[in-house]
Amino acid sequence: MKLSRRALLTSLAAAGAGVTAPGVFAPAVAQAKPCRIGILAPRSGIAASAGESGLRATQWAVEKFNVGGGIAGRKIELVIEEETNPKDTIERFQKLVQQEKVDCVQGIVSTGVGLALGPVAEEARALTIYWDGTTQDGVDEKLPNPKYLFRSTDNECEAVMSSLLAIKHWKGQFKTIAGINPDYSYGRNNMAAFVALLKRFSIEHEVVTEQWPKVGTMELTSHVAALKAAKPDLIFSSLLFADLPVFMKQAHAAELTKGTKLVFPAAGWQHTLMKKDFTPEGMIFGHNTLYFDNPKATALQREFVAWYADKFKDYPNWEADRAYFAIASYKDAVENAAKAKGASWPAIDDVIGALEGSSVESLGGKGSWRKDHIADQTFVQGFSTHANKYDFVTLDPARIETMYSTELQKPAGTNFWDWLKMAKFQI
Amino acid sequence: MKHGSALLLVAIAAGALALVPLLAPPFYANLLVPFYGYAIALLGFNLLFGYSGLLSFGHALFLGLGAYTAAVVAGVWGIKEFEVALLAAALAGLIVALPLGWLAVRYRGIFFGMLTLAYGMLAHAVLFKFYHLTGGDSGMRVPRMHLLGLEFAAYNKIELLAGPFYYYCLTLCALAAFLMWRIVRSPFGLHLRSLRDNAQKAEYLGVRVHQFRLAAFAISGIYGAVGGTILGFRTGLADPELVYWTHSGHLVFMTVLGGFSSFLGPVIGALALTLLQDQLQSLTQYWRLVLGAILALVVIFLPRGLAGLAIDVSLLLGRRSAPSTASTTETA
Amino acid sequence: MPAAISAIANVLIGGIFHAAVLFLVAAGLQLVFGVQKIVNLACGSFYALGAYFGITLVNFGLGAGLPDWTLLPLLVLAGLLMVVIGPPIERLLRAVYDRDESFQLLLTFALVLMFQDIFRLVWGANPRSLNNVHLVYGKWTVGDFSVPVYNLLVIGAALLTAFLIGLFLKHTTFGRLLRATAENRAMAEALGVNVRAVYAAVFTLGTLLGTLGGALVVPTAAASLDMAVEFVIEAFAVVVIGGLGSMPGALAGAGLVGLIRAGALVLYPEFEILAIYLIVIGVLLLKPSGLFGKPAA
Repeated sequence: MKLSRRALLTSLAAAGAGVTAPGVFAPAVAQAKPCRIGILAPRSGIAASAGESGLRATQWAVEKFNVGGGIAGRKIELVIEEETNPKDTIERFQKLVQQEKVDCVQGIVSTGVGLALGPVAEEARALTIYWDGTTQDGVDEKLPNPKYLFRSTDNECEAVMSSLLAIKHWKGQFKTIAGINPDYSYGRNNMAAFVALLKRFSIEHEVVTEQWPKVGTMELTSHVAALKAAKPDLIFSSLLFADLPVFMKQAHAAELTKGTKLVFPAAGWQHTLMKKDFTPEGMIFGHNTLYFDNPKATALQREFVAWYADKFKDYPNWEADRAYFAIASYKDAVENAAKAKGASWPAIDDVIGALEGSSVESLGGKGSWRKDHIADQTFVQGFSTHANKYDFVTLDPARIETMYSTELQKPAGTNFWDWLKMAKFQI
Repeated sequence: MKHGSALLLVAIAAGALALVPLLAPPFYANLLVPFYGYAIALLGFNLLFGYSGLLSFGHALFLGLGAYTAAVVAGVWGIKEFEVALLAAALAGLIVALPLGWLAVRYRGIFFGMLTLAYGMLAHAVLFKFYHLTGGDSGMRVPRMHLLGLEFAAYNKIELLAGPFYYYCLTLCALAAFLMWRIVRSPFGLHLRSLRDNAQKAEYLGVRVHQFRLAAFAISGIYGAVGGTILGFRTGLADPELVYWTHSGHLVFMTVLGGFSSFLGPVIGALALTLLQDQLQSLTQYWRLVLGAILALVVIFLPRGLAGLAIDVSLLLGRRSAPSTASTTETA
Repeated sequence: MPAAISAIANVLIGGIFHAAVLFLVAAGLQLVFGVQKIVNLACGSFYALGAYFGITLVNFGLGAGLPDWTLLPLLVLAGLLMVVIGPPIERLLRAVYDRDESFQLLLTFALVLMFQDIFRLVWGANPRSLNNVHLVYGKWTVGDFSVPVYNLLVIGAALLTAFLIGLFLKHTTFGRLLRATAENRAMAEALGVNVRAVYAAVFTLGTLLGTLGGALVVPTAAASLDMAVEFVIEAFAVVVIGGLGSMPGALAGAGLVGLIRAGALVLYPEFEILAIYLIVIGVLLLKPSGLFGKPAA
């Protein structure tokens, strides 16, 4: 849904009408004043496609909710701003909160922006729900006990899950491992988590090369050659964006992927670019919180995927699920709080209280909010297959694994690396 | 425009800016805080560009340096006095600018631009690669600090930014502008201009070309770092995007938009771009396209920027009433 | 081939392939700078444009039933077709030819900003890529050493381009005109050279090298919104190392950057990007004119 000045003006006019015509209709008009939700999503640069996927899911949710009467009787109106660098995104956030007076802000994909925005959201006392970008690397001291801020599941969840799958299925089948991960905290943490879990399960291993290409590097043949020279049994890679299909293509051309075990926790973020031509079968392939072709998908997911495929000739990735979870859990919390308070629009503290510990059905399965405002969601990973009707790989239906993030992310107040050493993992 | 009337205009503009937190919606005071950071940085930048003829395409390096210095001073060392962060940033700016400048000022024109661009990109790569120290892409937190020893505990950060910090920055910016005005009016400033216009001749006349340019580079580095400290405090984060080459391009954009041949041109440019980008981002998701088109138009049709346009208009109006001498605010 | 040697050969050929693409774009930059003294920040955008349009044309062509081997001709055609943007942009730049170089730099920066949104407007936010069509020409394999023939063709195309440009500059009348204009514009003008036409031709040729580079690389890579901004910096590294405005410099610089990157990846991967910038700064400081450039004024 595009932000349109006209929509804004109409809503202002509606608010104005409420002022000029007090009396009988006043409560009804107050109810009819739309619920404004501000969205901060990347539209340009590397994360643009993630932002687009999230925006589309939000748009779908809003249309669906508005048909059913909106949120607690108020129609939803979106105000969309762009997520760019930390400095400018904070400005857009403040515009949403102070000028547009939105009831809730949702969005954010980048970790850096998320870290910078957190304290601002707290100071502004503005209810803010992140789609993505929560890193657990020392996050405990960076944003302790937020009140207004609700953050996504850990970025590291998918790496933990992929590592567990690799250990479960391939234990004893690999010794030398190599990594090629994007040169930022996400890539660094994912690789470190994989190695830490190998140690935790006493898997004998040797890291033969670790590469950190800059995000956005489109020419990876040298990296591929260097990996090939190291002759690893297994390659762990959390490459994402366009970098990943480029790597796969060049790796395939150099026959790096033949006979090498591949663990790719973030592959599902750009799954439609992972063409069968160059993406092998049998790699561990992470779809995070939404696998569009899940045979066990709920009716809700099926409806959404069908709409998405029909409208955009494309298949959604997990950012869509994150965005849906954000807006659906907000709606649920507002309505529960309103019910508890007797049908009036609830105060922000009541909405926050209702969000804590709540659960909703998101696109990819159940999602809930912990007391410390971190999301728990359903993760799907598996082994890639070519047996499908698409030109890109999907998951082998017989080998799909589903885990709830309570098993994948550290509980409140612990250190991620300590937790990896002592947690009880289900393998 | 006579000296007096120019001063009057500046005073009116400063007065208007001082009223923003009182009269405009709170969002605008918050929006203008980064403007002050840019304004200070650009005053320094233009000593190099407008006055010395050296176009740096890596000047965002110093903004980043200021923000990271604030992160280290307040976040790592735990010193919560903003003045200490400012001084440390100025010092860091000087320390970094001296060797970089010493190597760079031997060149002019495109070589100088390339070298500074490479500095900026090296800094960007270093921030990513030494992630144990710098936090990589996530950057370093810049905690809230005290202003003039006062904690302002009753204010939340947004109120702090829109109130006390706003006036703090306005004052700092005015001081920086006054200081820079003295610098460019001093014999040193005159020498810089003579170097810009004819280096060889100036050298014959005994101007030590490299030393003068190095001094200008160092001063611009200090101004850049001080401006960066404001950006860091406002954002609460120092991140590598601050030193990326497109941010350096942004600085040049502001300077040319305002007009680099006027003393206050860059400041006007910073203000204009801040407000313009805010409006464009709300109007269209394709704001980069519009912004680029505006930049192209300014470059082609308004080579002296908005300030040049204003001067032309005022001259035109002035000529109608009374004959006037050329503006005193022009650098040339 | 022994394993160690084939490993080295794999790394080397990767570096050389990268260098080939870098050379094409850098050659465009050099040509425009050498003759017109304009540093064209938008060369990365031309590269991205070639890549995006290359995908569109290949998908269209192969979709319309052309055999797979037409990939390379289609891509070259895509690069050639996109050259249409050259003359209008040159016309725009003409407004600032007589101004300080900062204006020219900024005008190309404005183009960079605009192109970012134009790509999104036309091709969407999702990165675009082709299937494995580039393997249609097969692979050249010796023991553990293996390289797609397509990559070799691109390397060959880059070398051929270098050769043709050299030939063109040295041995054609227009090439001589061009060099004369680069050397001394006023003199060339006085001698009756139509400098305006020379500039238009040079800029268009420079654009072509950029779009061609993008179109040729895209089968092995992908077209994405950030590619322009990322790539231009590396192309700059090449021209600085090789020497601004120098064609042999572009070739040497591209080779050096490609090989340094490949070498660093094997020896010390953390050093990859840093190494390039350090060498750029080193070259600028020790020999600012670059390896092949004329001394700085």
